[in-house]
Amino acid sequence: MAQSVKVGTLKIKERNLGWKLIIPTIIIIAALIVYPVIYNIYLSFYDVSISPGKSNIFVGLQNYVNVLTDPDFWVSFGKTLAFTLLTVVGSILAGLVVALMMNRNFIGRAFVRALLLLPYITPLIAIVFAWRYIFLPIDGPLIRMLSTVGLIDSGVDLINDPNNAFWVVTIFNVWRNFPFVYLMILSRLQSISKTLYEAAEIDGANAWQKFKNITLPELYFVIGSVALLRGIWNFYKFDEVYLMSKFAGTLPIYIYEKAFLGVPEQGVAAAIATILFVGMMALIGFYVKKVLKW
Amino acid sequence: MVRRKNIAKKTGFYILVLLLVIFVAYPFVWMLSISFRYDTDAFEPGLIPERPTLRQYGELLGLVKSIREEMSQEEQQMMELIKDLPPEQQEAFLAEIGAQRKKETFPFIRFFKNSLFLAGISAFISLIIAIFGAYSFSRLEYKGRGMIQRSVLVVYLFGGTILAVPLYQIFVKLGLFGSGARSYIALVIIYVVQTLPVSLYMLGNYFRTIPYSIEEAAIIDGCSRLQTIFKVVVPLSLPAIITVYIYAFMIGWNEFLFASIFVRPYPEYYTLPIGLNELFNSAHAIWGKMMAASVVTALPVVIMFTMMEKYLTGGLTVGGVKE
Repeated sequence: MAQSVKVGTLKIKERNLGWKLIIPTIIIIAALIVYPVIYNIYLSFYDVSISPGKSNIFVGLQNYVNVLTDPDFWVSFGKTLAFTLLTVVGSILAGLVVALMMNRNFIGRAFVRALLLLPYITPLIAIVFAWRYIFLPIDGPLIRMLSTVGLIDSGVDLINDPNNAFWVVTIFNVWRNFPFVYLMILSRLQSISKTLYEAAEIDGANAWQKFKNITLPELYFVIGSVALLRGIWNFYKFDEVYLMSKFAGTLPIYIYEKAFLGVPEQGVAAAIATILFVGMMALIGFYVKKVLKW
Repeated sequence: MVRRKNIAKKTGFYILVLLLVIFVAYPFVWMLSISFRYDTDAFEPGLIPERPTLRQYGELLGLVKSIREEMSQEEQQMMELIKDLPPEQQEAFLAEIGAQRKKETFPFIRFFKNSLFLAGISAFISLIIAIFGAYSFSRLEYKGRGMIQRSVLVVYLFGGTILAVPLYQIFVKLGLFGSGARSYIALVIIYVVQTLPVSLYMLGNYFRTIPYSIEEAAIIDGCSRLQTIFKVVVPLSLPAIITVYIYAFMIGWNEFLFASIFVRPYPEYYTLPIGLNELFNSAHAIWGKMMAASVVTALPVVIMFTMMEKYLTGGLTVGGVKE
């Protein structure tokens, strides 16, 4: 009897300490992430003033009507979807191939593995200028190389042309993020039991059959989660796109330009952000349900 | 027959590796190459610079005067203009101009210091809060813990793009806007929030690997729960703590969106990402300097990473980097 009381107070003490230690985190996240998300929805119904003296004017659904009837928005929306899809597929394919390569022993593997991390860990601002340099018309080394082979015209400016910027930005994003995918897949690959392959060999399976029937099913979960994570991140990716080219035209750039450049229309920007948020929540919900299985 | 097939296969594999290396290294190699050239040589076709120079690095770090400062005739013209003024006014005027010009050329060191300050402080605050939070998550039992933990994980997926407008409005209302210093307070707060979920997640995972019996022993020896955190848990997880700090630091070091929103009107307070981007957009034909600046910006992160590689790649696969 006495003992159970003792255990009870210990439990309460532990609970109290637990809450005390986590409270700062909760307050910070509630005040600076949860509240702003809700506030953003609120702002999307207003004509938001940017001078502190003037108050916001309620406009109902007008911002949404403006956005949804704006053809630019739909172009931008399409580009965002295409960007998300292409970068996810591209980085998963590249990451998978590279992980399979790095899972073998070869001369210089340690060097290649160290090198592979560079695109991902180098600060963004330190790598975009090199990329912009190699894509310069006429003088950029990559453009020069491609035009000698006859693939493109050397005068073409890929980065500052809205039609082509999208592709440069997509390739850049795959280049930058495939190391993340490769690392995740490799760590899973290395934990697949060797006996599975031995058994398959005894049954006379060839390399492709082993890959299809053992490796892929084992990787299914990690590929699924990485695809969703990258999808969610790239759906609202701003800096990697904007710093590479302002002309890529995805939604985050559209929001940024509406909210902070020229004549700011922050209410409209909030409406677009809300639409983006709904899309993102759908992706996150899918992730939580299907991948994390809560 | 079998052997020949094997050799062909091997060669094919090594060609694939070579292509991969070129794909990854290509921009880096050019970045290094251009950083060792004069701005005027930036478009020479060869990869190896014909007139290699360390001048760009020297100028960035303030060791040599920039060519513009050296060659300009402005000094003499200025003297002509002000030669009728009394000497003390002349002197003050020249000092003013000199200071102005120093600011204008390529304030790389200032950007660097600003970034170091912002990323350093916010990563530190985030780390302290995360140590307590992660301990609470991984060691203490209470109702609602799982829910909070999951919410943190979900929040970790939210992006800056969605928060930009409301956070701007909130900080303007709070008065944390309107001067560089106030904007810095806003930025530190934002960076702490952005780094907190990853820090919590990674530290929590590490704390769980520390055997509880060690803590119990300390408690029996008379330590309070709070004391065990600092006397047992923190020393034992030093590698993880350093790793988390580096991650949080990198997030601040990289951040562009909020820096551009909050400090754009105050060039004195530019961080590396916004500072370099503004310089790049306003100046022409400074490729040599931009590349040298890129190399110097990348170095601290790459060095930290290579030093802590074992822990960091582990962390990458567990937590991923918040983006």
